[in-house]
Amino acid sequence: MRILVWSRGIRLLHWMLAGSVIGAFITHEGGGEVHEWLGYLALVSAVLRVIWGLLPSPDGGPGQFVRFRSFVKSPSATLGYLGQVIARREPRHVGHNPLGAWMIVALLGLTLAASATGWLFTTDAFWGVEWLEELHGALGEAFVPLVLLHWAGVFYASRRHRENLAAAMVHGRKDA
Amino acid sequence: MAAVAVLLVSSGASATGLATCDSGDKSQWMPVSKLESQLKDKGWTVRRIKEDGGCYEVYALTDKGERVEAYFHPLTLAPVPTQKR
Repeated sequence: MRILVWSRGIRLLHWMLAGSVIGAFITHEGGGEVHEWLGYLALVSAVLRVIWGLLPSPDGGPGQFVRFRSFVKSPSATLGYLGQVIARREPRHVGHNPLGAWMIVALLGLTLAASATGWLFTTDAFWGVEWLEELHGALGEAFVPLVLLHWAGVFYASRRHRENLAAAMVHGRKDA
Repeated sequence: MAAVAVLLVSSGASATGLATCDSGDKSQWMPVSKLESQLKDKGWTVRRIKEDGGCYEVYALTDKGERVEAYFHPLTLAPVPTQKR
C-alpha cells in the first residue's frame, strides 16, 4: 500500500534547505548579498526543521516520520544497524533509517553552525575577524563530505530496497 | 606597531575578483602601516588588512560606523572601486 510519508511542507523544507545550502556553497567566494540571503534561507529552513522535529508526536499520518524521537536512535542501536548494513541484513525503514537519521542531525547542525557564523561575520562586533571567517569557511567545506555521503546513502538504500528515495522526497509517497 | 600591521596582513592566497590592482613587485608597495594610519586619521576603525587581487583589502568601520570592505592600491594607497556583487 502506498502512503504519504513526506508531507508537502517537509518536502518543500527539504528542497529549500538543499537548494540554499548548495547555492550558498556555489556563491561563497568573497561573500556578497546573494550568498548572505541564501545563508539566511538555509538558517530559517534548518530552524523550522528542528522545531518541527521537536513538536509532540501525532498519532499517525506523515507527521509521525518528522519527529526526531521517532527516527533518531541511540549510538548503540545505530551501530547495530550499521552492522546489519555491512552484513546486508538491514531491515527497510518506511521513514528515515538510523544512519540517515544521524546524517540529518549532522546536516542540520552544520547548517545552523555555518549560517550562524556567516551572519556573525556581518555584525559590527565580528566584522573582519579572521578566525571567524576561517571557521565559517571550514564549516562550509565540511558540507562536501557530508552531502556526498548523504547522496551515497540515499543511492545505496534505494538500490538495496528497490525504491527511489530521491523521487519519494519529490512526490512524498512510499510503500508502507 | 609596524609588527602588528604586518601581522594584520594575512597571506592572501585566494583572489575574490572584487577588485584587481596592477601593483607589480611587493618590494615597491607602500607599507601596510601607512595605509592603516591614513585610515585611522580619517576616523576609521581598521579590523583587518589583507591582500586580494594585488590590492590591499581592508575590513573596517568608517567614522560613520558603517561596515566597509574597501580596496586600496598598494603603490598609491588610493581607493580602488570594487565590482558590485
